[in-house]
Amino acid sequence: MKQINFKVNGKHYGLLVNSHEMLSTVIREKVGLTGTKIGCEQGSCGACTVLVNNKPVLSCITPALRCENAEIITIEALAKDGKLHKLQEKFVEKGAIQCGFCTPGMVMTALSLAPTLNKDEGLESMMHQIKDGLSGNLCRCTGYKKVIEAVAEYALEDANIIEKPKKPIETKSVGVSRPYIEAEKKVKGAADYADDIVMKNALHCKFLRSIYPHAKIEKIDTSEALKLEGVHYIAIGKELPITFGVLPISADETAMAVDKVRYIGEIVAAVAADSEEIAAEACKLIYVHYKPIKEFLKIDDSLNDIGTNEKIHAAGKFNNNIHKKAELRFGDQQQGLKDADITTKMSFEFLGINHGFTEPHAATAFWDENGLTITTATQVPHYLHRALAKVLEVPLNRVRVIKPYLGGGFGGKSDPFPHEMIVSHLARKTGRPVRVRLSREEVFLTNHGRHPSKLSVEMGISKDGFFKVLDADIAIDGGAYGSFGIVTSYYNGVLLQAPYKLDNFGFRTYRVYTNKPQCGAMRGHGAVNSRYAVESLIDDLANKINVDPCELRLKNFLDSNTQTVGQYRITSNGSRESLLKVMDQSKWNERIGKLETGHGLGVACGFFISGSALPIIWNELPQSVVHLKLDFDGRVLITSGSSDIGQGSDTMLAIIVAEVLGISMDKIFVLAADTLLTPVDFGSYSSRVTFMAGNAAKDAAENLKKEILDAVVKAKGINSDELNFGNNRVFSNDKTVDLSWDETIEILTAKRGAVCVSGKYISPKLGGDFKGAGAGLSPSYTFGACVAEVKVDTETGHVKVLNVWGAHDCGKALNPMAVEGQLEGSWHMGAGQAISEQMKYYKGLLLNNNFLEYKIPTTLDTPDIHANIIETMDPEGPFGAKESGEGAIHPVIPAIANAVFKAVGVRITQLPISAEDVLAKMKENQISKEN
Amino acid sequence: MIKEQLYFKAKSIEEAIIEANNHIANFRYIAGGTDVLVNKFQGNENSKMLIDLSGIDSLKQITIKGNQVEIGALIILDELKNHKIIAESFPALFEAAHAVASPMIRKTATIGGNLLCENRCTFYNQTEWWRKAAGYCLKCDGDICIATGGKNNCLSKFISDTAVVLISMNASIEIFDNNQTSIIPLESIYTGDGVNPRNLSNSAIIKSIFISNDEGFTSVYKKLRQRETLEFGSLITAVTKSKNGKIKIVLGGVDPKPIVVEGIANDDLNELIIIASKKARTVDNDMYSRKYRKEMISVYLKRSFQELGLILP
Ligand SMILES: Cc1cc2nc3c(=O)[nH]c(=O)nc-3n(C[C@H](O)[C@H](O)[C@H](O)COP(=O)(O)OP(=O)(O)OC[C@H]3O[C@@H](n4cnc5c(N)ncnc54)[C@H](O)[C@@H]3O)c2cc1C
Ligand code: SF4
Ligand code: FES
Ligand code: FES
Repeated sequence: MKQINFKVNGKHYGLLVNSHEMLSTVIREKVGLTGTKIGCEQGSCGACTVLVNNKPVLSCITPALRCENAEIITIEALAKDGKLHKLQEKFVEKGAIQCGFCTPGMVMTALSLAPTLNKDEGLESMMHQIKDGLSGNLCRCTGYKKVIEAVAEYALEDANIIEKPKKPIETKSVGVSRPYIEAEKKVKGAADYADDIVMKNALHCKFLRSIYPHAKIEKIDTSEALKLEGVHYIAIGKELPITFGVLPISADETAMAVDKVRYIGEIVAAVAADSEEIAAEACKLIYVHYKPIKEFLKIDDSLNDIGTNEKIHAAGKFNNNIHKKAELRFGDQQQGLKDADITTKMSFEFLGINHGFTEPHAATAFWDENGLTITTATQVPHYLHRALAKVLEVPLNRVRVIKPYLGGGFGGKSDPFPHEMIVSHLARKTGRPVRVRLSREEVFLTNHGRHPSKLSVEMGISKDGFFKVLDADIAIDGGAYGSFGIVTSYYNGVLLQAPYKLDNFGFRTYRVYTNKPQCGAMRGHGAVNSRYAVESLIDDLANKINVDPCELRLKNFLDSNTQTVGQYRITSNGSRESLLKVMDQSKWNERIGKLETGHGLGVACGFFISGSALPIIWNELPQSVVHLKLDFDGRVLITSGSSDIGQGSDTMLAIIVAEVLGISMDKIFVLAADTLLTPVDFGSYSSRVTFMAGNAAKDAAENLKKEILDAVVKAKGINSDELNFGNNRVFSNDKTVDLSWDETIEILTAKRGAVCVSGKYISPKLGGDFKGAGAGLSPSYTFGACVAEVKVDTETGHVKVLNVWGAHDCGKALNPMAVEGQLEGSWHMGAGQAISEQMKYYKGLLLNNNFLEYKIPTTLDTPDIHANIIETMDPEGPFGAKESGEGAIHPVIPAIANAVFKAVGVRITQLPISAEDVLAKMKENQISKEN
Repeated sequence: MIKEQLYFKAKSIEEAIIEANNHIANFRYIAGGTDVLVNKFQGNENSKMLIDLSGIDSLKQITIKGNQVEIGALIILDELKNHKIIAESFPALFEAAHAVASPMIRKTATIGGNLLCENRCTFYNQTEWWRKAAGYCLKCDGDICIATGGKNNCLSKFISDTAVVLISMNASIEIFDNNQTSIIPLESIYTGDGVNPRNLSNSAIIKSIFISNDEGFTSVYKKLRQRETLEFGSLITAVTKSKNGKIKIVLGGVDPKPIVVEGIANDDLNELIIIASKKARTVDNDMYSRKYRKEMISVYLKRSFQELGLILP
């Protein structure tokens, strides 16, 4: 320990720090300013950026002692006298903040960048300078577009080159672009994420993780570790033997390995100690004797009979590691193949993908007279609530799950996790709060990302260009446990039955267990890879029959208000408008076929659910319930179990309630995702929140409106159908009644007090009655299209994506700025899977478990994204809205690959597109041409 | 239990050397620290004492001495752009510096530290836990090279971007060690042994870097990586032509040390490419395959020759 003196945000501190302690932890833990975030600890993400003597530094790799007598500025110092800094204002105004976890680092970087920008060489040059300057700050949510715009506008306004536009006063709610309600809090670094919440007297937890992919645990000896001063408790697997999993049908995981380990990285023991260092040190002293057994790392190995070896999971009839076989067939595929004039069949292989959210998992648990309370980074408080009660063997009413601000999820926080079970258990055993935060490497080991997949897909078409048949044979690598895998198995297939008319359609998916970190749901769940395959095949067919690929798609689209072959009810459908929009914007017709070698345009379309119509856990609860409370102060309190993970669902709820009641947003307060205080919502997955929680909020607001109407009618003796709600007033057309909101509330609450109402959403009964009919059922579906433009270096094979023009049918954009943000983020993430992201294993050990080698596109690698919102007014969505958070990712990846085909004639059948692969295939083409 | 740790921020070279000698078996200098501290996080660097050189102001100047430009070892990479002489006479050096890591890191990282940045390998730049699970390799006291399966050689990659360019311009460095100052060619410090890739003694301090200002160098620098920023090079090339027609090719990222091939403009340039490529002991320890990196050597060098106006037969 050493004493250090420095100033943070103008205040002098004299602190004792460890000699090798980094500035980031000193600022967060000793100074107590948690606006500075930690996303990687290895200098690769930029979240920890602060200014030291006016220079931006990555505080995670800056020794605190270097900063003796320094002046340190953190995000907390930017807003002054209750007013945001102009740059912060711009971030808010432009919608540059989604989950907000990258925001403090981004703002600090931008703050030091802005004055250095050379504005004399034109806008394009300045934009490039901004991209270059921000290229060390990763953002997984925004696709950077709005961030770059915010910095540019700030810089120009600051130099008085452009004038700040005056904000019009908004009275409408739905359809108006607005920042998230919590945007200011996030941009100030004041929003608390799971690891920012400090509990008095808390212990710290660290895990001992398996170093074998598949091994029996013969002995665990914790005696040496327990002797270490500061160690309070060490838990091992057999203390928590009850299995859990997000799907009750594959609850195959325990909090820690019990008798054997199934992947490298699986938790074997957990230590609760006075500090993280002590807990980590104790983990090293735990002795585990393993007996390695045969591991299964590849899909093919797990599909096959395993002989006398031990299966990964004992359950299952057959002597292999197949977890699930899902198969559905409609029409007659044999006939379809016969009817087709031209068929094409291709095989594809995809590596796993990680969500790459910037906030690592973290949680704190404690017990008191109310039972367990856990604050944790989760997308699914409700399912976690149930899993905790089950594993810890307590009644449901002794568990409370609180979701704080969340630094991104994308499906990666949508399961109950071992670390959440373990800290709850340790807190019970020690009687103290216990906290945990995962390192980035541990986040990668926890995974639940997109399944590595192998597909073989066949399609047939008639000479006049109608699809006759689609048949997909799919195998997906689930890793060691079930997670959402059964759903994923179906989604891989069923979600191919649209957006095109298909009478003969079938698929078979095998999901296998392997000895690797488990896979689960990730943005675009299940259908991303299979969509890629189909859109590549369509491109190939168009090529074979010499028809423009856009035209071919236009010809085959399903209509609105129709049914698919597998009995999905299609209501609103914006496929056609989406495709026409991106064709127009990309100047498709003028440019296609006319670009030089190495330069190409490609197109693809997409289709996704807007919320799963069936619950994961079979019961008759509504999918979502929202409560509203209106008291004497005129403020409407919305309580909802839905989880805002950065996608803006809290804001969405407020917009809907404000719209129904004709009041402004400042009269609304949202309390969400606390299982004690808020009614059940199933969580943020399957793109269900806007549709389902939104409808529940609308229902609740309408119920509240009825209460208000009744009260006013009674008090004023007027007919209810003469009354209007708007501009914070309740009034009749002839203005004989014209009440301010406060007056209205006085009438409502007289002799009654606060009024509480409830609203709900229950999906209509949908679908066929065959086995598997429930898979992919949704009250509404979304559609979209992308055109991508690429340049391929013909000597190196390197692919650069220049532009993505995208359009997505979201029904109705309740908040267009938020929808754009979702689309831009989706296309950025898709470009990552297309170009640079992969999970690469060496003998079951993830090779690229950090943000240096897991290659999320930076500002410089992200194409220019042109987002278009297509509105089709869904008949059942709240105000016509449906999802926009996931479906948009589907078309972008195949659009990029199809553009590569146009550029260099190479069909990409492996993701990510590797320069090496492109080059090799170009050479093959060359050779076959020469022969 | 928790290991004792020490930190010392030196204000002069002398102070640094004294502390170094006091902890001779167990210390590490840091300049920017951007390489050392990440290696420390991963458990590949466990020195008890960190001696921080970043406060030694005497090593932060760029000056012209006769026909030489002298660059202080503690010059921050990002600050190279503020020096007209670098931008005008050695644009490729500036480009290489700008290609290191990310903007924020370049505001902390020094050029001296970049020259001595540790060799890299997919199987080595991993956490302690990871390396234990993989089985420690030669570079971390194990007895096998995971990349090759061999037992003798570690072929971790030399990856300094600026060194590649500097060596192509015959740069030399001034070193202070054992109370002596000496000037040696930069390329002479790289051993080619992946475990101990440099032959400088532990306590040696690089004071500055010298480049000739009157040889009419024109250089082309290139870097192979997947993203346009943040990443280390999977292949780094620099080709420098001097006014008397000499050509010097340097490769990084494909061998434990910089690969150097010299020739003259009239040589069969293809032959030089073949020699360079043959010399590179490239193995599969990168996200790009060995085969591809080898293949790109020739593409990159040909492009460089073209940009330099050299004619390939
Ligand atoms: C995310 C990330 C990406 C990176 N990308 C790249 C990249 O693309 N290319 C690249 O080359 N590097 C890269 N680096 C590594 C590193 O940032 C750079 O090499 C940097 O230039 C090192 O300089 P430094 O001053 O920070 O070195 P330090 O970490 O301080 O030191 C590096 C070594 O040099 C020694 N040393 C430093 N100065 C002296 C001196 N004057 N005398 C004697 N010994 C000295 C130290 O003891 C240590 O052994 C990256 C690092 C990170 C975290
Ligand atoms: S090249 Fe071989 S010995 Fe050297 S670091 Fe890599 S795996 Fe280890
Ligand atoms: S936490 Fe510092 S760069 Fe990621
Ligand atoms: S807003 Fe950038 S990571 Fe979420």
